Amino acid sequence: MITRRAAGQLLAATAAAAALGTGATQAATEKTLDIGIDLSLTGADADSAIRMRDGAQLAFDNANDSGSIPGYKLRAVVFDDGTATAGQYDPAQAATNARKMVSDPNMVAAVGPQMSGAGKAMAPILSEGDLAIITPSSTNPDITNPRFAAQFRPAGKPIYFRTVTTDAYQGPNMANFYAEVLHVKTVYILDDSGAYGVGLADAFEAEAKKKGIKVLGRDRLDPKASDYTTALTKIKALNPQAIYYGGVMGAGVKLAKQSYDILPKVIKGGGDGVYGPEMLTAAGFPAAEGWYATIASPHLTDSNKAAEFVKLFKTKFGIPPDDYSITSYDAGLVIVAAITELAKAHKPITKASVRNAIQNIKVPTIQGTVSFDANGDLTDRTVSVFQIKEDKAKPLNDISAQYRYIGVAPQA
Amino acid sequence: MSFSSLLLQQTINGLSLGAMYALLALGFTLIYGILELINFSHFNVFMVGSFIAMWTLQSFGLSGQSIILTGLPLVGVLLAAFAVTMLASGTLGVVIERVSLRPLRGITGPAAMITTIGVSYILFNIILVTVGADAKNFPNPLPPMRWHVDGAVLELREVLIWVVSLVLMAGLWLFVQKSRLGKAMRATAQDPEAARMMGVDVDRVIMTAFFLGSALAGAGGLIFGLYYNFTSFIIGFTAGLRAFTAAVLGGIGNVPGAMVGGILIGLIEAYGGQFIATEWADVIIFSILVLVLVFRPAGLFGRLAPSKS
Repeated sequence: MITRRAAGQLLAATAAAAALGTGATQAATEKTLDIGIDLSLTGADADSAIRMRDGAQLAFDNANDSGSIPGYKLRAVVFDDGTATAGQYDPAQAATNARKMVSDPNMVAAVGPQMSGAGKAMAPILSEGDLAIITPSSTNPDITNPRFAAQFRPAGKPIYFRTVTTDAYQGPNMANFYAEVLHVKTVYILDDSGAYGVGLADAFEAEAKKKGIKVLGRDRLDPKASDYTTALTKIKALNPQAIYYGGVMGAGVKLAKQSYDILPKVIKGGGDGVYGPEMLTAAGFPAAEGWYATIASPHLTDSNKAAEFVKLFKTKFGIPPDDYSITSYDAGLVIVAAITELAKAHKPITKASVRNAIQNIKVPTIQGTVSFDANGDLTDRTVSVFQIKEDKAKPLNDISAQYRYIGVAPQA
Repeated sequence: MSFSSLLLQQTINGLSLGAMYALLALGFTLIYGILELINFSHFNVFMVGSFIAMWTLQSFGLSGQSIILTGLPLVGVLLAAFAVTMLASGTLGVVIERVSLRPLRGITGPAAMITTIGVSYILFNIILVTVGADAKNFPNPLPPMRWHVDGAVLELREVLIWVVSLVLMAGLWLFVQKSRLGKAMRATAQDPEAARMMGVDVDRVIMTAFFLGSALAGAGGLIFGLYYNFTSFIIGFTAGLRAFTAAVLGGIGNVPGAMVGGILIGLIEAYGGQFIATEWADVIIFSILVLVLVFRPAGLFGRLAPSKS
């Protein structure tokens, strides 16, 4: 579909140039560059994945339509790292996709992955291939932490960039929110045994203890299992004021359903893993009502700066975007800017040159000026808190209506 | 929550889980008893059953958890949903047998078992491709009734699961023991050759076993949906594997063994999660299975029918 669309646009551009009788030579010599998009399009997080894919696609479509990159067109190549057997992201599939990206000579950069577990599998391969990837949502800090450089960037240079901050801020800032805003004194922590979930729960736990919240226990949920009543009954017996869940939708949706029955009065919250339409459509109301969620970026879909994007997104794709559609669009903008810079300077556009350009770039995007630190992390470290509150007048899957923005979580 | 009420609550949880495993285990055991075939397509007949149940409930105009029925409409809707789901799942089982297994009848070796794995993956991927990968919100018209028993909470849906499972299992037991076809089933299980010579229509017996086993799996799928309020293309594997373990634990081929095995696995899962840790559930379940099989290779109750080989 995407290939056809890109090809169609190319054709239209060529026809227009020929009709005008000008620039025909330029159109003929126009080169097509591949940009990878790797997301978990199969499985429990697919709805969120679609919103990110469309966000990035929009950035590339806009660049192609406006001809802002002299002499080049961009073609998005979409990869799916989710598999049916895993039911969500599958690290083995992510690694396979990374190999395909690195071996594609026309591929110069990529957007993704959605999930940290996929990112951990992809990073070493991308590092060897010198291919820069910009993640719109994966927040596990290990991947960009210089302490783990030997593991995740064996070739040396950072290749894993982010348009969101990491769980080194997302977990602790939410712990601060629990302690300072919700005045939580006792908490029980759960994770979904994935790379993201465990890391986020660890980061939350450390800061919660520092803030004097008593951690009554920690349990691990199997995302493939269906029954969490055992764990929840155990938690009920300990009578915590709140639970915190580090993990993605696979286990999250079931946790929301079952904890609604067993722990009706307990404060429940999680990270960006429980920010998405799946909580609203699969867990549904009343189960999802009252859940807190964070995102590792500023809240943008309601802002004036995003109004035009939101409108365009809705008309083009027929669904409302979420904040990670915007971080994904911003990731696309960064790549477009890096390639434009090289094209305008008549420099060769390769995996290595695009990576270098991304490392040093400052791009105005919807979330503000994006730039990266020496490890590829976003310099802005805002974590936003939301609470699910049903708005019956709006569509069920409209995230910006059903997730009520609370504010920025207190910095750790 | 005191220790005794915690124990009681986990027992309630474990029994509900166990009832579901038992319904599924019966399907494995029925077919194994007659064909000596481990039917892996059963995993996903259960999963498809839960989707059929969801569509049936949706066709009554139910969606999500917001519409609550009571009294006669509730009973009517549930009866209709069970009837449709069990008929459709049973028919699916018969079709699977007719299309993919009957042509292989008489062929020794693992061909038939591998075929059932293939069918299982076909069902799994058909649902994945047609309805999508995200979890579906399962309609639940049950009123949120709950009773407090000694500090533990017993919900209507749990009572429903127990009652429905007991009724279905008792019905199956009576069918196998008392009816003509049930007697023919037992005869075929003991010695298919002799049964055929005595005039038993073996093909019909096998078809019946597939119908009953798959219908029970369908009922299990409906119960799963009512209990957890969701369904997804992936639910068959974990539940199926544990139910299969339950059948082996009770003694595969043995109908009461499957029931007891299912309940045991459910209780082990609940107690193990409480007293050790939930992430160790599979380790505990399968360790107990290994231990039982080491000391009693035929399972807790052995097989009623002697082995054919």
